[in-house]
Amino acid sequence: MNFALLSLAIPLFSGLLLLLCGRALRTRITGFIAIASTLISLVCAWFALQEVAAAGTSLLLNLGGWETGLAIRMRLSSLSALLLLFTALMHLLIGLYAGLNRAGINRDFWALSCFLHGSLAALWLSADLFNLYITLELLGLTAVAMVALSGKKAYRPAAHYLILSLAASLFYLLGVALLYGRYGELDVLLLAPRTEADVTTRLALLLMTTGLMLKSALWPLHLWLPPAHASAPTAVSALLSGLVVKGPLYILWVLWSEVAPPALAQQIGPVLAIAGMIALTAGGLSAMRSPSIKTLVAYSTVAQLGYALMALGLLLTWQLPQMHIALWLFVIAHGLAKASLFLAAGEMQSSLGTRRVAGLRGATQTVPVAMFAFAVAGGSLIGLPPSGGFLAKWVLLEPLLSQPQNWPWALGVLLGTLVSAAYIFRVVALSFDRARINPPDINPDRVGHWLALLPALMVWGMALSGEWLIQLLAGGGV
Amino acid sequence: MTLSWTTLLPVLIILSSLIPGLLIFATPEAAARRRITLNLTGVSLKLLLVGLMLAGVSQGLEFRFELTFLPGAQLVLQGDALALQFVALSSVLWLMTTIYAIAYLENSPLRSRFFGYFSLCVSTTVGLALAGNMITFLLFYELLTLATFPLVVHRGTPEALRAGRVYLAYTLGGGALLLMGIALLHSIAGTPDFVPGGYLTALADEHAFSLRIAFGLMILGLGVKAALVPLHGWLPQAMVAPAPVSALLHAVAVVKAGAFGIIRVVYDVYGIEATTLLSLTQPLMWLAAITIIFASIRALQQQDIKKRLAYSTVSQVSYITLGVSLVGPIAAVGAIVHLVHQGLMKVTLFFCAGNFAETLGIHKIQEMDGLGQRMPWSMAAFTVGALGMIGVPPIAGFISKWYLITGALEVNQQWVLLVLGGSALLNAAYFLPLIYRGWFRAPPAGGWHDNNFADQRLETHWMLLLPPLITALLSILVGVFAGTIFSPLGWSQFIVNREFGL
Repeated sequence: MNFALLSLAIPLFSGLLLLLCGRALRTRITGFIAIASTLISLVCAWFALQEVAAAGTSLLLNLGGWETGLAIRMRLSSLSALLLLFTALMHLLIGLYAGLNRAGINRDFWALSCFLHGSLAALWLSADLFNLYITLELLGLTAVAMVALSGKKAYRPAAHYLILSLAASLFYLLGVALLYGRYGELDVLLLAPRTEADVTTRLALLLMTTGLMLKSALWPLHLWLPPAHASAPTAVSALLSGLVVKGPLYILWVLWSEVAPPALAQQIGPVLAIAGMIALTAGGLSAMRSPSIKTLVAYSTVAQLGYALMALGLLLTWQLPQMHIALWLFVIAHGLAKASLFLAAGEMQSSLGTRRVAGLRGATQTVPVAMFAFAVAGGSLIGLPPSGGFLAKWVLLEPLLSQPQNWPWALGVLLGTLVSAAYIFRVVALSFDRARINPPDINPDRVGHWLALLPALMVWGMALSGEWLIQLLAGGGV
Repeated sequence: MTLSWTTLLPVLIILSSLIPGLLIFATPEAAARRRITLNLTGVSLKLLLVGLMLAGVSQGLEFRFELTFLPGAQLVLQGDALALQFVALSSVLWLMTTIYAIAYLENSPLRSRFFGYFSLCVSTTVGLALAGNMITFLLFYELLTLATFPLVVHRGTPEALRAGRVYLAYTLGGGALLLMGIALLHSIAGTPDFVPGGYLTALADEHAFSLRIAFGLMILGLGVKAALVPLHGWLPQAMVAPAPVSALLHAVAVVKAGAFGIIRVVYDVYGIEATTLLSLTQPLMWLAAITIIFASIRALQQQDIKKRLAYSTVSQVSYITLGVSLVGPIAAVGAIVHLVHQGLMKVTLFFCAGNFAETLGIHKIQEMDGLGQRMPWSMAAFTVGALGMIGVPPIAGFISKWYLITGALEVNQQWVLLVLGGSALLNAAYFLPLIYRGWFRAPPAGGWHDNNFADQRLETHWMLLLPPLITALLSILVGVFAGTIFSPLGWSQFIVNREFGL
């Protein structure tokens, strides 16, 4: 447990440090501090994972030694340990990119990314609905500030994002208040056995679900995402799409799989799963039509979250452990692939001097490494073997196919695969155009391009550790 | 897992083209010599390793490599007799195609990219051949799509891009269906290794419905690459690719991968017994028969040489499917041996068509008049290939047809004779005019379009001429020496004896 707390505290403290005396330091040193703290946090997360795996069950801690019921309770399960590891890894990969690419980044990025890391770590470890609210709020505010980093043109989407984020938090808080009024309890583990399917609980759950779906841009509440993610600086887009939207999703999962009474969860399951299927297709179609590169990538986030939502919905409906595994495998595989996709998109944009998809003509010749990264990461989104996306899809498909009455869901997965292939290969096919090459404005930045490829290679490497991941997630999600 | 040479050999065979491929990507464009060295080293090494494995398998050794991947589904590479048939074919033809491609692409841009993907393509094909279970097969099947796409669009013209999009739409769609079928099968029976006789016989009664659906999905998925009608649309379009790529698509890798997959599914996954129990052979047989006739008619309508050859491939590859679906041992020999025979003959034809286009700028059939006088060697190789396709003895194609016909009679499917006979007539109708024009018409009075290599001793670049001559010779030799044990026919009999437990 101590390691997990360290993994949470280190980025938070270095964030504070950078905030207080960041101006006095040179940008290079700021970046170094941030990356070093991420690295330490990553190592701590690894030890925390070992610890929880050795214990075989989730570990609980009452902060400050207060007794249960009064204390702020933290919980380290194998899932939250894995997510801690994932968060630190993503921050490390994206931090390295932000620090080493030629264009550099606004110095405020480092403090904010440390805060983001800390608040996400706190989110994975919280086991209390109000605590979760606080982490959610922190996460939202940091994310908005990060969107605004790219200057004046991003203020509008950032402001929209802020308003929506606040509204969503409000919805969530209302739900929390209702539950507190009804049960006098907000600790997840204490609340879980007591909830009943009465009107107050239903209303509370509905409000909280709306808020959370809005925050993680789940269909049909996704419209704010593409402009916000597309207008942020490249490294920030990668963090937002790869990580931030997963936070509210986690709370949604806690809420429905633990807090809500099972009967209610079974009712809402199919609704969520259908929303997921629609997200998969509608998001994919929007990505296919999108004229600009980053918007395409942002819409693909909307589509891919559909997979996760589908897995969550079916998990609630059938209570199958495979769905739980599939859900988190999707989250991790998507995070890594999306990071690569955004970094590659950003690099290609700056090298080729265009935001438009049509500007990528001939990209396999002009920016080969970045284009390769885009294609490789895209392969994982499509779910081509042996990538992480394939792993997740395989686990999801197995229970869907074993019963003939579940086959329509498998059809949804098939459709999702085809649509994802369509929008990824729309770009890839263009990049092979040799007749109308769009010449690059500046020499491609080699380091930046290779760093964009790194997460994509990792997501394809996930397949090799597939069995380990599956066992870990099967070992006990709660 | 103990690491011995029998474990590592399958991996080494894949790596022998994968590593040169990756190195080629990093080779500067101007370093042609280094690129050629890498290519040829890879090919020679691979041929050596394949020879070693062939010797091992005929001695009864087992080659198996495994790696954990999914729960209940490992990555398995296994060198069995059937796998080797395909591996040996693609390795030999890869050598020929590499030599050909070096000359064909001389002085053209982006050669490092081309040869890099070329090597990757062969690596995935060999991996697909050595795949020891359906998951591993799927993995390489999808990777093959990805490795061939850059080759199809290599020219980067609008037509090439259009063909590339069509290619992707078909193959990725097929891949998705194949995935569904394999996942469905996995949920019923898990994913054990391929075994002669299949592993589903015991389950055929209980899960008849699901097994039929899974079979249908997998055949649809494989049928895209095997170009079964109506899933063949990508193949004629893909003709815009450079000639070595066409050779690769038609003879070495892609189309063969589909046909090979069908053989695996019928013999080593479902097994003859379960396939018959579930009455799956009849629909497959009809599909193959329709493809053979329909594609032959379409070939007759084409005026472009390469397009005609493309439709001829669609038709000829379905011989394999037909032979498989007849479920008799003799027809099975015909199907498996045709995998090699069709490859040899078709690659010859494509090399020659490429030579005509490169040397004299000839693309259409009408332009072939008098070609035999200017390019006698290429035209002779072309003639051997074409006559072989028709089924003239002693060329390879005759042997396959002979076995298919006797096989059909053995299982009392007399109507197949009509299909094969009709197809032979149609083959003659669309190949003989080309041969006639080439040898017996006078050359055009106005001279040729282009006239490259006119002042040289040979009719064209020697590296363009040598590969078709060798493959033409091989197609005759495998026919003449069909009776010996080390011919493709002898090896096919060895495979079939195992499959049918004879």
